[in-house]
Parts: sequence; structure tokens; C-alpha cells
Amino acid sequence: MKNVFYKPGMLALVATVLLASCDPEVDGPIVSSGSADFTKYVAVGNSLTAGYADGGLYRESQLNSYPAILAQQFALAGGGEFKQPLFTEEQSNGSGYLKLTGFDASGLPVLEPVKDKLAVVGMGVDNKTPLYAEYLEEVNNLGVPGIKMVNVTTVGYGFNNPLGFNPYYERLLPNDPTSGGLMPYVNKVAATDPTFFTMWLGNNDVLSFATSGGIEPISDADKFQEGLNAMVSTLTANDAEGAIINIPDVTGIPFFTTKATTDLIAKANAANTKLYIVAGTGEVREATPADYVLLTSTVGTPEAVGPATVPHGFSQFNPLGNGEVLDEAEVADVKAATTNFNGMLQAAAQAEDLAYVDMNAFFTSVQPHDGLPGLVLNGVVYSPAFISGNLFSLDGVHLTPRGYAIVANEIIRNINIKYNAQVPTVDETRYRAVLFP
Amino acid sequence: MKSKILALLGSTLISGMAMAGGYQVNLASQRQIGMGHTGTGLETGTSSIFFNPGAMSYLRQNGVTIGASGIISKIAYRAPEPGGATAQTDNPLGTPFQVYGVFSISDKLKAGLGVYTPYGSTVKWGDQWNGRFGLNELSLEAIYIQPTVSYRLTDKLGIGVGFVYAVGGVNLQRSIPVQDQSGAYGKAELDGSASGVGFNAGIFFKPSEKLSLGINYRSKVEMEVSEGDVSFTNIPGTLSTRFPAGTQFDAKLPLPATLSLGVGFMPTEALTLAVDISRVGWGAYKSLRFDYSQDVNGVSYSENARNYEDAYIYRVGAEYKVDDALALRAGAYLDQTPVQEGYLTPETPDADSRGLSVGVGYQVSDNFSIDASFLYVNKKERSDASNLSGGIAGTYKSVAYIPGIGLNFTF
Repeated sequence: MKNVFYKPGMLALVATVLLASCDPEVDGPIVSSGSADFTKYVAVGNSLTAGYADGGLYRESQLNSYPAILAQQFALAGGGEFKQPLFTEEQSNGSGYLKLTGFDASGLPVLEPVKDKLAVVGMGVDNKTPLYAEYLEEVNNLGVPGIKMVNVTTVGYGFNNPLGFNPYYERLLPNDPTSGGLMPYVNKVAATDPTFFTMWLGNNDVLSFATSGGIEPISDADKFQEGLNAMVSTLTANDAEGAIINIPDVTGIPFFTTKATTDLIAKANAANTKLYIVAGTGEVREATPADYVLLTSTVGTPEAVGPATVPHGFSQFNPLGNGEVLDEAEVADVKAATTNFNGMLQAAAQAEDLAYVDMNAFFTSVQPHDGLPGLVLNGVVYSPAFISGNLFSLDGVHLTPRGYAIVANEIIRNINIKYNAQVPTVDETRYRAVLFP
Repeated sequence: MKSKILALLGSTLISGMAMAGGYQVNLASQRQIGMGHTGTGLETGTSSIFFNPGAMSYLRQNGVTIGASGIISKIAYRAPEPGGATAQTDNPLGTPFQVYGVFSISDKLKAGLGVYTPYGSTVKWGDQWNGRFGLNELSLEAIYIQPTVSYRLTDKLGIGVGFVYAVGGVNLQRSIPVQDQSGAYGKAELDGSASGVGFNAGIFFKPSEKLSLGINYRSKVEMEVSEGDVSFTNIPGTLSTRFPAGTQFDAKLPLPATLSLGVGFMPTEALTLAVDISRVGWGAYKSLRFDYSQDVNGVSYSENARNYEDAYIYRVGAEYKVDDALALRAGAYLDQTPVQEGYLTPETPDADSRGLSVGVGYQVSDNFSIDASFLYVNKKERSDASNLSGGIAGTYKSVAYIPGIGLNFTF
């Protein structure tokens, strides 16, 4: 009797093993670091590097920073631990950030600030800069929101003082001026002694001019070069390899394209008037499609002009302010400065034989052209459009976690080429885009 | 699945995942599966209803055949280099089946009815893989009901024709790349039943006891889905009007024509050798288009190019009768993919495929015999950018193990 059960049982077992072992497989490349050494990866940069998104820096955005994603992938190729100055769970909303709560009647998004669980612990002695919870342990992600290339050698840039300071750098430094409180950024970077680094710096040297509508100055080119030299010589002091990432065209981002000037001009024309702006020269003139209205502009809001109520900007007596518009001449200034700074970044990368990531070209490539999307990944269309484009977060300048993942993949591809490495890219669909209520 | 046919059958029978080119399922007879699915130029018994209605007139006895296969299939996926993402399908067991009955009206005139499943696909990737916005799962099924007549003009020549009424359905599920506050994605499910008509005609020529030839044409059947249901789930409230409830869809899917030529060679009483060549008119499948009854995410239809091209299948098979009761079979085929470069999709991640089969037949009594078959299908590993089809780029590799059994009754 036993055999009757035994034989089919064995057969079934053999068949199962046979079938299971014959599952199809697609072999991938063998993961390798090539000639790079990811043992100690350090990321230097600004808000993009810190993981800033939705108008703030918060725990979730930090966890999805592109350096965190890079480090996770480097870990597959010998990379070591990667520490970030994370806000705690209790203070997970960090600086606070914007949340999408709906759409108004005209279809524009309604954004509301998140105000609970903040990491704000006080006010700076300048009476305007908030103080954030400190993080004094050594970190691998030295992304400091707001920092410019021209700030890297500034003594006291992170010291709470009446003339103003950077609170995101301040939280990484001791408060005592005699024990490192005055340390310039480049010294903080030097102390980390990386084997591999990424540097994405210089955006704010043009961006703060652009987002202020041309009121803040563009950084001085000579000072930019000095800061760059200081950074690169520091980072490569011990023969570290790395990647220098360049500055995207700021006028391609939703902060400048969402309130499209052509649409606003058409609206004004439909109301039998024109769109007026205050140009950088102080002159009030009609807007042209070559001017960019900022996302933060209150264009179209009904305002009293004499006895009448007109939409803001639709009267030469109520033009859009200089700070609401990046006018044609300012756009030209931004583009020229971006090209100039990128030339310096590229030269630095070449001189030190580092990977040079042309993020400017990448973000230009994601612009739709000829009515076709510039980027489709895994069945999802990406563009620089506000909210619907999936790449940019609710501030219109910084990226969504998905956008940061896509940027990380672009950096990995460049590193793989430069260092003959095989670091796998990440599945970007694991990272969120804009969340809808 | 609201397909009427399932209710009709009252069973769990579904047509199998496509293991031939495109979404064709060439599993029409257990004896012929064992012989590499040749049969156009052979007397194949009741299954001539499928292979060549012209040969049906040669049947000497009334007969009924019931058979089914179990498709155990897996597809492996890897994202394009240097992407690290991998996935594997969790396809349910596919169970294509065949039922044939042939009855003598006169010595020369036979009538028959066939019910079989020549097209279908069930592929399940799930809602976690990186291609989920392209496809979570697809089930496509078509059951052909074919009343057939066959007439033997001379001892050497038979002709036959059958009318095909096809019923079936489609169920497609995919994730939508919009996320609610918890980060969960929306989902869409398209579900509809379909029907279509066509024909199956053949000529069978047997110049000698040792040689037979056949030609068979199975026409295209255009399956039309009318007023299928589109259901959206987990859509964020602010977007609900973009994905409206109660949306319906229309769609058409061509089940392509197949022209086959076959030769049978019987050098001895015990040995049968067969060769078949088929040309499948996949060129009919230009695009997959869904027309919606109301705008979905701002558009009234969605359309993705397929642009399949006609493809050939080459088959060889042999049967050796060990004695009066026992027959051993073996066969092989090469099946070209109709899917061109740039058009690969996760719904049919097709590639040139190779099939190897073995089979055994046993005559239990004068009126009853059993056929068993086993087919191994191995598709070439294929990488594609899928940039023309709206598919998911990457490398795909499919294999399938297909055991089957059939029962034949004669009277």
C-alpha cells in the first residue's frame, strides 16, 4: 500500500523541484564600483542636496533626498553608512512645508502650510531667522538649503548673529564661536574626508536673483570661481573621486512657467486691456511673452485702482511689481550667468578628472517638444509642469521624491560611465510624486 | 470577470496564457500537441474540425473528443540597464480546452461541432512592479464555437468548411499614477465581454497511402467589446471628476487569420511524419484602442500602437505506433513573434519561441482512447525600449510547461 502513495508523491516532488528550478531568469550586470571608491560618500550642495521640497525641509523629504538614494545604491557596490541630519520623528515636519489641500474655482492649487511637529526651537538674534533643532554629529549629507557658491568660505555663515545667518548650517555647528561655531562651510566639508563626493552647488547663485524677480543680485563670477576652487581642492585633497553637477536652466521650472505670460496676456486682451509689469529698470511697460511671471505673483487678484476694481496687473496703474516678474533683460542675465557658471563647473570637473553631470541638459530634455512628452518612464509621463508634471514639488522649484529619484538615476548613469562602474539605478516608481487630497 | 461565457460554462475554464506568438494559443488537440501541433496535412480525427475541415470527411466512425491542457507559465522581467528592478509574473494556471464531435451523415458527408480556445492570454504582474502603470493584469479569452461540414469529393480529395462564432471577454487592470494622501495609487479596471464571427475552411488531398497534403484557412475574427465597464478605485477626491464613475468603453481586438499548409508522410504503417507551415495575419493588429463613453483624465479614448506584423510558424512532428494500442509522439516548432522592435508590451512580452513536445496515445478499447501530451515552450530573452507601444521597457523571458490530456470516444 505504501508504494501506491510513495510513487506519485515522489513524482510530484520531482516535478515540483524541476519546474521551480526552471523558472525563467533575466541576468543583470554584475554590480561594481569600477574605479570609484564609495566607502565614504559625502554630498555637498544646497537645498536640492538636503532634500528640500514643498517649500520646506522635513523628515520625509530628507529621507528621499537624492544623496540618500545615491548612498542606498552605492551601498550595493561597497558604499558605507550614510548619515543625514534628519529631523526627529517628533519634529518630523522640520521647517514646515506646503500641502495641497484642493483646487480653487479657477483650477489653481490651494496650498496650505503644515505647522505642527516643527523643529523650530527659537528665533535667531537677527530677529528674523528661525532656529532649528541642532544636529551636531558628523553627517554625510552636507546639503544646506540656501547656500551659494560664494558663501562657502564665509566665516560665521552658520553662526547665530545679528547680521543674519543660514539656519540650516547653523543647526550643524556648535553654538560656541571658539569651538567651531564660526566654521566656514568649506572647513566643515574638509573634516568629512570623503572617498567619493557629489557637489551640486551654484544654483542659488542665479536662482535667488530669478525667484526674487531680479531684486537679489546674481553672484559675482570671480567670487563664484574662488568658492568653486576652494570646494574642489578641499574635496579632492585626499584623491577622492566624485561628480560635479551643473545648474539647470531656472526659467524651465514651474516657478516661472506656471503663470504663463502668454496665457495672462491673452486673458488681459480678452478683458480689453493689457498685462503691465514694472521692469527691472523701474519702467512700467506692457508684458511680452519673453517676461516670466513668478508663481508667487498675485496677478489677477481684484484690486482697487481709483474708483474701479481691476485684476492685478491688468492696468498700467496697477502693474505687476518688479518682484513678481523676471523680465526679458533679467532672463538674459540669468541665462548668461548660468552658462558662465556651468562653464566654470565643467572646467573644474575636467581639471580634476571628475564626473560632470549635465543636469542642465537633462532638465531641458524633459521639456515637452512637438507636442510629445520629453520623458516617459514606466508608462508615466514627466514634464516640468506644476503638479501634473510629477517632477516638481509644490514650491515649483524643488523636486518631488520621484523627481529626486530620477535625478539620482541620472547621476548614477554619469558616474557609471566616468568610473566604469555598474551601480544599479533605482526604481523611481517606488518614490512618490505630488499627493492629492 | 463578468464575461457571459464563464456563466455559460459554469466552470473555471479559461483560455490559457498566450504561449504562441502574440496571444494565439495553439493547443487544439492532445494528439497533435504531441506531434509539434502539426496536422493540416494529416487525418487528425475529430480535431480536423480545427486543423483542416477538409480531412474531417475521411473519418470512418462517429467520434467525440474532450481534452484540456494546463499552462504553467512564468515570465521574468528586468528593468533596462543599469536599472536593478526585477519582476516575475504570478500567472494563474491557464486551461485551454477542446471539445469536438463528428457525425456521419453519409459515407461522404460529415457534420461536426467544435468548441475550442485558439486565442487568449492571462498575465498577472501584480500592482507592485515598476510597470504597474502599464499593466497589473490582463485576461483575454476567446472561445470558438464551430459547426462544420465536410465532403469527400473523391477518395483522394476532401473539402470542408465551418462557421465560427467566437465569444469571450477582456479584463485589464492597471494602476493610475495619481496618489492620495497616504501615497496609494489609483486603479482602473476595464472589463467587457466580446463576440465575433468568422470561418474555417480546408482542402485535404491524399494522393496515396503514404502521402497526404492539406491547406487550411482560418479567417480573422474581429472581437468587439461594446459597453464594457470601466471602474476606477482609490482615486483622490479632488480628481474624482477626471475619473468618472459609470464610464463605459468600446474596443475591438482582431483574432488574426491563419493560413496553413501541411504535408503528411507515412513511410510505413507504424510511422507518421508531418510538416506544417502557417502564416498568421498579425498585421491586422494595428493598435489597441479604448473609446470611452465620457472623458477619462481629459481624453475620450486611449490608443497605443501595436503594429504587429504577419508571422510564420514552422512545425515538424512524428508519431510511431509501437503496437495496436500504444503510440509515441514527438514534435517541435519555431514560432516567429509578430511584435516588432519598440512595440513590446507587458501584456504580451512576446519573442520568437521554440516548442518541444512529446505525447503518448493509448487505445484502451475499441471505442475509447486516451492521448496525453507535454509541451515545453521557451521564448527567447528579449530586450526592448517599448517606446512605440506605450509598453514597459526592459528584458523579458518566458517559459511554459503545458501538460494536457484528451479522451476520445468513437461509436
